[in-house]
Formats: sequence, structure tokens, C-alpha cells
Amino acid sequence: MPSGALTLLILRVLNSGVLHGYAIAQRIHTLSSEVLQVEEGALYPALQKILLKGWATAEWGISETNRKVRFYRLTPAGRKQLASELSDYHRVHEAIQAILRTA
Amino acid sequence: MRTLLRRLGYLWNRRRYDAELANDLEFHREMLARQGNTNLGNALALREEARDAWGWTWLDRLSQDVRYAARVLRKSPLFTLAAILMLAIGIGVNVAVFGFFNLVVLRPINVRDPGSLVRFHRRGQTQYAFAVPYPEAAFLREHSRTLAAVIGVNGTSVAVEGEEKPVNANFVTPNFFRELGGASSLGRVLDPAVDEAAGADPVVVLGHGFWLRHFGGDPSAVGRTLRLNGRQATVIGVAAADFGGVGSGVSEPALWAPIAQHPYFVKGSRLLTDLSVESPGVSLWGRLSPGQNASAAEEELRMLAAELRRQYPAEIWENERLLSAPGGYATSMMMGNRRGTGVEQGDPIYPIFALVGTLTLLILTVACGNLGSMLLARGVARQREIAIRVAIGAGNGRLIRQLFTESLLLALLGSAAGLAFGTVVIRSLLAASGAPAWLDPTPDWRVSTFALAIGFASAILFGLTPALQVGRRSSGANLARQVLIGAQVAASCVLLIVTGLLVRALTNATSSSPGFEYKQVVAISPDLARNGYSPARSQAYLDALEERLRATPFVQSVSLALSPPLGHVTISVGTELNGHHVEFQSNYVSPTFFETMELPILRGRAMRLGERRVVVVSDAMARMAWPGEEPLGKTMSFGDNFTVVGISGNVRTVKFGASDTVHAYFPLEDAHLPNLTVMARTSGSPQDLARAAAIAAQSLDSNIFPTVEILSNSFRTNLEGAEYSTLAISSLGLIAQLLACFGIIGVVSYAVSQRTREIGIRMALGAKPAHVLSVVLRHLSLPVLAGLMVGVAGAAGLSHFLRGRLYGISNLDPAAYLAAIAIFLVTVGVAAVRPARKALRIDPWRALRHE
Repeated sequence: MPSGALTLLILRVLNSGVLHGYAIAQRIHTLSSEVLQVEEGALYPALQKILLKGWATAEWGISETNRKVRFYRLTPAGRKQLASELSDYHRVHEAIQAILRTA
Repeated sequence: MRTLLRRLGYLWNRRRYDAELANDLEFHREMLARQGNTNLGNALALREEARDAWGWTWLDRLSQDVRYAARVLRKSPLFTLAAILMLAIGIGVNVAVFGFFNLVVLRPINVRDPGSLVRFHRRGQTQYAFAVPYPEAAFLREHSRTLAAVIGVNGTSVAVEGEEKPVNANFVTPNFFRELGGASSLGRVLDPAVDEAAGADPVVVLGHGFWLRHFGGDPSAVGRTLRLNGRQATVIGVAAADFGGVGSGVSEPALWAPIAQHPYFVKGSRLLTDLSVESPGVSLWGRLSPGQNASAAEEELRMLAAELRRQYPAEIWENERLLSAPGGYATSMMMGNRRGTGVEQGDPIYPIFALVGTLTLLILTVACGNLGSMLLARGVARQREIAIRVAIGAGNGRLIRQLFTESLLLALLGSAAGLAFGTVVIRSLLAASGAPAWLDPTPDWRVSTFALAIGFASAILFGLTPALQVGRRSSGANLARQVLIGAQVAASCVLLIVTGLLVRALTNATSSSPGFEYKQVVAISPDLARNGYSPARSQAYLDALEERLRATPFVQSVSLALSPPLGHVTISVGTELNGHHVEFQSNYVSPTFFETMELPILRGRAMRLGERRVVVVSDAMARMAWPGEEPLGKTMSFGDNFTVVGISGNVRTVKFGASDTVHAYFPLEDAHLPNLTVMARTSGSPQDLARAAAIAAQSLDSNIFPTVEILSNSFRTNLEGAEYSTLAISSLGLIAQLLACFGIIGVVSYAVSQRTREIGIRMALGAKPAHVLSVVLRHLSLPVLAGLMVGVAGAAGLSHFLRGRLYGISNLDPAAYLAAIAIFLVTVGVAAVRPARKALRIDPWRALRHE
């Protein structure tokens, strides 16, 4: 999975709620009908980048296993970024579809 | 911007963020483990990867590398010390040269706003002069709008009671201190409001150095009366120690006085009124008005000069321009007060810096070469360590970076040591040459940056190749070594030959005779012009003085000259002669001059008494103007037409500059009389004659304070400078030679010892020692020969360049070349044979187990 797409997916799942890192991976896994598997090696660098860009903030919370862990919350800047990435994605997707249909 | 701030935040709170990240990952693992997924990767590596996003990995690595490099260097203190020492010498000599360059050319002098100061000199269609007659300067000062201020400085030597020799007094326009921001350390400085007025009291401001010397630093000197040329003046203040102002030379004047007082102190002075080019005049400085530039000022002054010419058509030249040069640097003062015809000669300072700079850069190259081969050898010795680092996952790039960091660290230490060394060199040279206090050699940001930059450049030079070599691990190491040997031989060869040539040229210049007999001659300058003598009165005075001197016991010959040899006054002239451009020193002499100086007339004759329109030229000049022709009887057009009646021997005083031997001697003209110097030769003691001459000169007119010079003293002073340069260049050469030889020995013995194993095998297989030796040497011969060839060619090129600029350098001095080549071959031989013989004696079994 290209790293740009991973960022898009993370932003998208965070848009519907505050999640911790493992839950993000799980969410992507289940929502994709168990097609997409996000490895730690890709997830955490991407999350660090998102934090650095200010698209999300991290806050301490308690996990379902009763453990202290960081939850990630989308910021307004993150929402904006998600919107622009989505529209980019749709445009490219349409274009590719158009070619695949007609060519 | 925000991102950058957050990034900095990560750097600041990295420990906390790292812990948070670790916690995230740990939690992730726990969750995975719950699901029975136990495929755990390297947690640390994962964390590092995630941390990459923060963008500080390079800093981590750099600090790791630096710490590691420091540890490595500390572990082998001998190597480190040797390397730093080598770099300190290589960088230090460059820092010293650059420091000098900075001091005289780049660094503004310590005056207020040096950037808007300009110095002017006069340029006519056929002549130039660096001194501007005071009335012209005053006219410009009054009318210029582009210049906010005009400063004039006239240097005159005056007799001060209690001082053995005359001291240099600068007569300045009273705005001098205010415009240049010169403060006083005691009392006050000159003030235009008080000291400009015609009836103002005679006052002087002392230079800080003179105050210390003459008054022993006594604060009560201010307010005291000082007698200058027998005239009373009040000391109103002492200038600040770091203030030298501007003037027509770099040396610090003993004191400053208002220029309006010149006639008061110097009897008969016509400085304030004389518009002729013979007037000593002032060196002219201007401060550009805000928003004005130098070319606007030149344009305005050209028009002002044209306006003044309408009043004084004889004195102001046709189409006279006042050309400007930046005024806020020490070089702006080194022009002196030259004048002449044609175009003024360029500043001789640049070619000398270029030459010395080339030599010192070569020294640095050789030092870097040495260090490079040392590092290369170490790299091989460190192969084990490097292999381990590779085995635990260090990439090539990382390895090269690590090794280069070590070199950079070395270079940094070397730069610091070199900066210290170079500063010590400058400081001691300045102290030895008696430079004024305001030439402060403490390194400024330019010199420090230079030291750092040159350190970095040398790190690339000595560090990158070995690093790449080791990084690549041995493939092509052989070629690199060969190139290294070749380059080192070439650079050392150039150094050796060029310094050899220079030293030979300088020793020639200092040891051989100057072309005339100076030891028994005394020069008496009564300075009649300063005492207001007219030509007619001067004639009478000089006749009487000559008469007296002839009557003095032991005096053999007496004559007159406008510019006595070894004196300070030279008039250089550039002109077209017979289709050749000739730069010569012109002099005006009486017929007996050649006899007094024992300057041989090679052919023809000297001029006769009362003869006009004839000229005696030096042999060098005859060859330049009429190569291969008969010069006698030729006409030289120079204002009037002069017929060449004689060829004199060449006079050679010690100076850098080939035009020094090119002289033309014209008969005296009446206008010269007040400026003439009397030369007298004695068969007795010149000291006695000097004393007698001073008494004679004063007894004819008690107002005259003659300057009496014993020529052998002037000659010695002249020589000291040259001996100094010879010493400096020889020691540079010696340093270079030592470095070069050490380097060659290191590289060659390393190359040979690398082959110990091969030699052992050859020996075990029954090769004869002589054969093995010849194989080893043959292997070396290619790079050595190539290096020699490049080096000799480079040296020939450089000496060709030198020949155009410096006196007495021959293009192909076979002795210098052969000596350099011989030194090299011997060094290479010695360097190669010793380790080779050691290798030959080695037990083949040990050789095979070697490494």
C-alpha cells in the first residue's frame, strides 16, 4: 500500500472517532473486509508524520484492556487535509476508471 | 512554519516523545499477542523508523559519529598529535598569508565609516601624481558637493628637540580627527572651529606611540611646549592608541599639526600656495556625501579641475581628472606619493600575495597528501574494526560518513591550531618590522572563517579519498595510492624548485654589488625648497656647499642629483620609445655624478657642464628601447628631444620589480635646484664626512636642518627587508621540503610494506632479492616519474609568471631544477629501500601469516 494512501486511510478512520494506534490498524483491517493489513512498521511512522503536520493530536486515555495508551484525535487542519486528499483521490480514481472503461 | 516549530518541539522533548512512542508500540504488541500473533520484529528498529518522521535522525547520527571519532582519535594520541601538527603548519602558513592580506587589503582601517572614504590621485593625459598640491585640494574642498568632507595630509619630517632623528609629522586639515572619528586618549584633538583660523596658536596632537617613547607616557605632557624645527608648539592632546588615521604611508606619524601651521614650523614652506607638481602637496581623501558614489565625485572633481585650470593653465593639467580608489584600507596608504608620466604602475602587492599564497597552498596540499596517506594506512590497519561494523549492519554510506567525520574533526582541530600558529607568525613579523599599533593582527571573522573553510577544504582533500577507499574496501586502493604518490611528488617538486629559484634570486640580489660604489658616499639634502629658496639662491647656496665639501679633507668627488640612489624619492616614467613601452626611473644629475657614485660609463660619455638636451641611459634601458641597435646618438623624445650620449652600468637596488635597473639620467635644470641633494665621496671615514657636511650645510644658513644619509646605512636598511624576505621564503621552502620528504617516505614505505606478503611469497618461491627489489621499485617509478614531470612543468610555468613580476628570477635555472629532482629521487629511493629490505629479510612463513 502506498504511504500516501495509508495516511488517507488513517485520516479517514480518525474522522469517525478518537482511536488508539492498534484500533486504527484493526479498523482498517475490518473495514477493508480483512484485505488490508497495516503493519506497525508502516503505521507508526505515518502516525508520527500526521502528528508532526498537526493533522491530529494525541491524548492519554484508557484502553479496553485497561491500559494507559495514547488516543489520536483529528484536528480541523486534519479534516481539511482529509477533504483535499479525498477529492484528489476521487479525481485520480475517476480518471483511472475512465481509462479502464474505454480503452 | 508550524511544522518546523513542532519539529523543534520534538527535538526539545525527545525523551518524553520517545517514551510515548515506545508505549504505543508496546501496547500494539500486547494486543497482537492477545490475538496469538507472536511474530515480533525488532522493537528498537521499529521505533527508530517511526522517529525518522521527526527529522532529527541526522543529528543523532552526527553526534554519534562525532563522539565515536573523538574516541578513536583519543585512543591513538600520537597519530592525532602528528596529524594536528601537520595541519597546523599547513593551515597556519595560509592563515598567516591571508591574515596579512586581510590586514592590508580587506579589513577597513580603524576610522569612522571607512566605506565612504575615498582617496584621490591626479591623472592627466600623460602624467599622474599621488600628491595633490594644497591649493588645488583647498579649492576642491571648498566647492565639492558630492564630498561631505575633504581631508588633506602632508607628511613632513621635522626636528624635535630631544630626538636624535627627525620625526614624521603629519600636517592635516583640521577636520582630520572629526571626520575620521579619531578620539584622544588625553587632552583634545584638532578642532576645525579653533585650529582652522589664521591666527590660531601653534598646536600639535601627539601620536600614542610617540607620546610613550618621547614622554614616557607622562600625562602631564598635555599643555607642555614642544619645539619643532626650533619653533614652539603646545601639545593639546594625545591620540587614542588604536587610531592611525590616514596618511601617505602605513607608519604611524609622531604627531599631527594643523596644515595651516606648516609655514610656521617649516621655514620658507610654500606648501599652502605652491600649485606646481613639484610641491610636496597633500594626499587627498574625501568622504562621499550620503547617497553619492565615487564616480559621481570623480565627475564633479573633473569639472572643478577644469574650472581651476582656467585660472592656472600651467599648473592644472589638461583634462585633469582626480581618480578615486577606496580610501578605508591600509593599501590606500601604500601608494606613497609617486608621480610620473604615463599610467601609474599597478599595486605591486597583489602579485606578491599571489606568489606567496600559491606557495603556502602548495604546502597545505603536501601536508594534506601526507595526512591522506597516513589515513589510508590507518584505514587498512582498521580493516578488522570496519569489518565488524559492516557485519553488524553499517552501510557503506554510513561508514564513509563515519570516517569523513573523523577527518572533519581532525581538520577542525587543525584549523584551531593553525589559526593560533598563523596569528603568532603575523604578530611576531609585525613586531619585528615595527608596524604601527593600529595594525592589529588579532584574527577577525574573516580570518577565522578562512581558517575554518580551508580546514574543511583540506578535510575533503585528505579525508575523502581514504574514506571512500575504505568504504569500498580495497578495490582500486592501488590506483589511489599511485595517484597519491604522483600528486605528492608533483606538489613537492613545484615547491622545491620555486623556493629554490626565489632563494637564489634573493641571495643574488643581496650579495652582489648594486652596480655602484656606495660605501664611501654621503648624501646631504639641505631641503632648500622647504626653506623657500628660489633657484638662483639655491644655485649660490649649492655652489658654496660644494666648495666647502671639496675643501674638506679626504673628499674625492662632489656632485648633485635630484633623486639620490637608495633614497626615498623616485620618479618613474612610462613612455613609448622606438615602438617599445619602457618604464624607467628618471633622474637629473650633475656631470660628476657618475664619478662620485663610481657608476661606470660603459660607452660614450657623461653629459658636460651646461649641456642640455642630452641623456645618459642605463644598459638595461638601452637594451629595452633599442634592442640590437646602436643606442648612442639615438633621440629620445620626452617633452623635448634628448640625444643619447652615453650608456651607464645598471644600478640595482634591492627591490621586487624588474624596472629597477632601467634608468635615464638627464642634465640638471634650474627648476630642480631647490630640491637637489649633494653627494660626496670620501676616502676617509664617511661618518666624519657626514658630521662635517652637516656643520657646513648649517653654517651657510643657520635655518637649514639638512638630512645627511650615509649610503652604506641606507643600503643596509634596504637589505634588511630583502634579507627578511629571503629568510621567510627559505623557511617556507624548508617547511615544504621537510613535509614533502616525510610524505614521500610515508607513502612509499607504506606502499612497499603493503606488499610484504607478496615479497614473502616471491622469496619463498625462490626469487632473487635484487629482482624482487627491482619489481617493487619499478612499480613506484611510474607515479614518481609522472609526478616529477607534472611538477617540473608546473614549476616552469610558475617561474615564468614570476619572471614577469619579480626581479632576478631566471626561467630555467638548471641548478635549482636538478637539485630538486635529485632530492626527490634520493628521498624516494631511501624511502623504498628500507622497508623493502626489511621485507626481504623476513621469514617467508611469517610473511604468509602476516595480517
